[in-house]
Parts: sequence; C-alpha cells; structure tokens
Amino acid sequence: MSKRMNAWTMIIVMSMSFTSPSLAADDVSLLKDLTAVIALLGMPCGEVVSATRLKDNDHVATCRNGNRYRVFVNAEGRVVAQKQ
Amino acid sequence: MNGRSVKSCAEKPLMSATRIVGLVVVLLTAGCAGLEHAAPGSERTQTGAAAGAVAAIEPVVPPAASTHAPPQTDASESGADVVKPMVAPVPPSVTPSAAHLAAKADSPAAKTRAKVVAPPESTGQVAKKPGAAPALVKQATSPPLDLKSLEMRLKETKAIGVFTKLALKNQVDDLLNRFRAFYQGRLKTSLAELRQPYDLLLLKVLALLQDTDPPLAGAIAASREAIWGILADPAKFATL
Repeated sequence: MSKRMNAWTMIIVMSMSFTSPSLAADDVSLLKDLTAVIALLGMPCGEVVSATRLKDNDHVATCRNGNRYRVFVNAEGRVVAQKQ
Repeated sequence: MNGRSVKSCAEKPLMSATRIVGLVVVLLTAGCAGLEHAAPGSERTQTGAAAGAVAAIEPVVPPAASTHAPPQTDASESGADVVKPMVAPVPPSVTPSAAHLAAKADSPAAKTRAKVVAPPESTGQVAKKPGAAPALVKQATSPPLDLKSLEMRLKETKAIGVFTKLALKNQVDDLLNRFRAFYQGRLKTSLAELRQPYDLLLLKVLALLQDTDPPLAGAIAASREAIWGILADPAKFATL
C-alpha cells in the first residue's frame, strides 16, 4: 500500500514538474504587462510579483513594494489601475 | 510465506504499470512543450486583436524628400487616410496608431544618407548650392514614414502586452485631444508646451520597445520629427 502511494505520488510530482513551466511562461508575460501598465499610469509599484484574474481584462496585481492595484479596462475602453 | 509471495507478485505488475504511466506522462508533457513553440502564432493573433495602443500618424513626407525617395510621395498622398486611424476610437482589438516608420525607409534612407555625404565633401558644390545641402541633410535625418507598415509592426510586436497597448492608445488619444483643443482655441497653451508631452509619450513607447523590439523602436525614434511635423501643422493635423 505504501509503495502504491509512493508510485502515485511520483507520477503526480513528475506531471506537475513538466507542466508548470508552460503555465509560468504565460504568468510571466502577464506580470510584465501589468508592471508596464502600472508604471505607464504613474503608479508606484516597482514590479508586479503576482496577479489574480477576476475576469477578462480585470486583474488584481500585487507589487513588490506591497501595493495592490486592480487593473482593468473600463466601459470607455480605458485602462485603469485602482489602488486596493 | 505464501502471503509474502502473493504480495510480491502483486507489487511487480504494479511497479511496471507505474513505470509505464510515468513514461506516458513524460511523453505527453514533452508534447505540450512542443506546442509552446506554436503559441507565438496565437499570441500574434491576440496582439493583433488588441493592437491599438499608439495613434498612427500619417507619414507626410517633406516635398524635398520626395525627389530622393519616391515611395514617400505615396505615403504623403495617403496621409489623410493614415492619419485617420489615430483619431478614430479604436477598440483594443484594432489599429494602434503610433508613428509609422517604414521598414522600406531604411534602404531609401541609407541611399539618401549616402547622397548627403557626397555634397558636403565637395566644397564647390556646397558653395554653389548652400541651401540644398541643409535640405538634403534634413531629408537624410528624417526618413520617409510608412505608417501602415509601422502600424502592422506595432500590432504584431510581442514587446508589449495587451494592457500596455491599450494604455498607450489611451494616452495617444489624450494627446490628440489636447492638440485638437489647442487648434480650436479651447486650450490656452503653445506648441512648445505641447512638445513636452509628445516627447514624453514617445519616450514611453521607446522604453517599452527598445529592449525587446529594437528595430521598431529605432523606426519610431527616427520618425519623431516627421510625426511632430504633422501634429504641429494645423492643416495636416486637420486631416487626422
């Protein structure tokens, strides 16, 4: 039984180790995009270290300096960054 | 004893099955990694759909330049059409406007630069036509604009993301509105004061492009004065 568990654990770990890089690439580009946008809007941030997607074109970005911004596209088509 | 042998017999196929499953997982993930190389195609479509960040300014080529670079006249003729995309409210999926610099401009620009180098070296020519040399130098420094080409390049560039393109488009639209208000007399300022936000916006664009898309950044930088020439001219700006 313990060997079975070890085998399944190994399978899961292997699958996650190979799939995680592809997901990380998309996340990195999103973080860079959010970093650029917040800087473009003149908000203090430094670097976005994590982002949570609320819906399409609507994210909450967490900056390295601790600030959190909601970055979204409003009804007028403007990109807005609201400090949370 | 029999129990142990039974257990060992049961474990052997399990281990072999485990190895097979693990091998299958490895192969699948390797296939997914291969699909990542195809992802740029989809990203291009996404960026093309979202492009619209920078207002396109029509490449109005100075008349003198047309003698040296015929394609420029075509660009100037289509200037009105080129300018329009800047003003039109473009959804994120459409048309970025920003300065168009032709990839074609590089070769004619090189030719014009070569031509420009010759006259200064011959003092006789310079003495005879002093006015022509500065004009030729100006032509060399301001390569012809191909806004359509530049627009396509901005749409397809991977240097900036969707949000960034949208934000740039917003800022370009704001700048154009300021120019419009200035020419309508609603904004009490001067062209010199409008130059600063224009330069600042171009710097932002260049800063975003210079590391990941240097050719496009160079093209935009080279078109700086030509674009300003359009914005600063009420007649040309009215065609936007």
